[in-house]
Amino acid sequence: MKNIGLILGVALAVVAAAVPAFGTPYMMGVVFQVAMWIALAQSWSMLSATTGYLSLGHAVFYGVGAYVCVLLTGTIPFEWALLAGAVAAAVFAAIVGLPVLRVRGPYFVILTYGLSELVRHVVMRIESALGSFGRMIFDVPRTEVLMWWMVGLAVLATLGAYAIRHSRFGAGLAAIREDEVAAETVGVPVTRLKLFAFIASAIIPGAVGGLALLRTSYFEPAQAFDPVISFTIVTMALVGGTETVRGPILGALGFALLSELLWSSLPQLYMIVLGLTLIIFILFVPRGLSGLFGRLGRAG
Amino acid sequence: MTTPLLSVSGLRASYGPVQVLFDVDFQVAKGSVTTLIGANGAGKTTIMKSLAGLVAPTDGEIRFEGRDITQVPSHDRVNSGLCLIPEGRLVFPGMSVEQNLRLGAIAPAARAGHNQMLAEVFDRFPRLRERRSQLAGLMSGGEQQMLALGRGLMARPHLILMDEPTLGLAPVMVKQVFETIVELRDAGFTILLAEQNAKVALELADRAYLLENGRVALSGPGAELLASPDVRRAYLGM
Repeated sequence: MKNIGLILGVALAVVAAAVPAFGTPYMMGVVFQVAMWIALAQSWSMLSATTGYLSLGHAVFYGVGAYVCVLLTGTIPFEWALLAGAVAAAVFAAIVGLPVLRVRGPYFVILTYGLSELVRHVVMRIESALGSFGRMIFDVPRTEVLMWWMVGLAVLATLGAYAIRHSRFGAGLAAIREDEVAAETVGVPVTRLKLFAFIASAIIPGAVGGLALLRTSYFEPAQAFDPVISFTIVTMALVGGTETVRGPILGALGFALLSELLWSSLPQLYMIVLGLTLIIFILFVPRGLSGLFGRLGRAG
Repeated sequence: MTTPLLSVSGLRASYGPVQVLFDVDFQVAKGSVTTLIGANGAGKTTIMKSLAGLVAPTDGEIRFEGRDITQVPSHDRVNSGLCLIPEGRLVFPGMSVEQNLRLGAIAPAARAGHNQMLAEVFDRFPRLRERRSQLAGLMSGGEQQMLALGRGLMARPHLILMDEPTLGLAPVMVKQVFETIVELRDAGFTILLAEQNAKVALELADRAYLLENGRVALSGPGAELLASPDVRRAYLGM
């Protein structure tokens, strides 16, 4: 059971590998979406599930990655643009991390949301001052290539989240979540570890933002920094369960597939069903799908 | 005279505009039990937090093993052997007893041989061994105090700072905590104890400091303070 996150990650990679063989562009698009949300939710969990500092602004890293990527595509190969997006997100996290991580609980939630919105509006201003109302990208890689990259990021994020949880670093983060003062008294370098976790959780979303940009081949700040991205990440992670590495995978998988089904059959009910799902899970399944499956597994 | 293990001079601390410590001086000799006694609000906990690096003093100097640690971050103090058992115990409630203890050895200096240390802590507190997989938050106050102390020992401290270890405990547990302190001293540990329970603290302390309104009002061997008419009247109700 302990390695189920990894197993699921590998299974997903295998499924994705099989898809192009018989798959349609639509199927590849679905795999791309599922992998994207896994990568984002898993990255988010590196900070928020481990320390309990709930970030409601992870769209900012996605947006920064997308923005850097759109500025660089055409000048350098797209792989390097993605890497630059990831690095930019990490640098941004390193710069804002210390002041942001000084506040806890609801204040941290609101501050991360506010920060993301602030950056969104700044980028919108810059773009409109430059006379640009959205940038088109030409010559994007094929969907199949993009899908592979996204699956790679999902696997990487899962491995990263797993490695953090099973390391001394992760033990220190868990101590911070349990009681920050007590963590300090046992010798956990609290400020440093929180900053490292914040940076770690920003890297992959930066690259994901770049990839998503290449997929849509269009950059528009309001869309790249859309707060709904942040809300969706948190919702998926909570529905999946934050106590295990498999949680974010289950949440992202469940939600992405549910949304595909609903979009095609009952588009008008889509948001209503998603909202209801979140409420039901918060109230009745606090440990998420992961906790639910764990319980069924033990009972059976 | 040998240099003391811990030496505090001219320590001042404030919470916002309110100054709570005024030029506090004291020393802790290696192998001794030193106690800080005084009423609520006298500054005991602030001193302990300053020593652990959780409160930044506005002035003064803290020397530990001959080194000025006044500006050293708290995790580096733990790593160099200064360990606080905080007031209110502050165990990690959602973790098991064993996880709590293992986290006590997270400082780099404590990592080597932490399994052996765990065995030693379990030998000292058999109750913790019995309850090793129990969630810490579900234990009684006395058990949590034992756990907090065991967690502190995991860091292999040269000096143990105990802040109000008997606060809120049943009398039988209070007695046990004090017995443990004596055992630890006999095993060679150095202890600085902040305690409201002045009588017992003075009885076992090699040296004692009486704090009043953030200042050291009186100091001397524990037995001497115990015999002082002022202390007897104000703190022992005699």
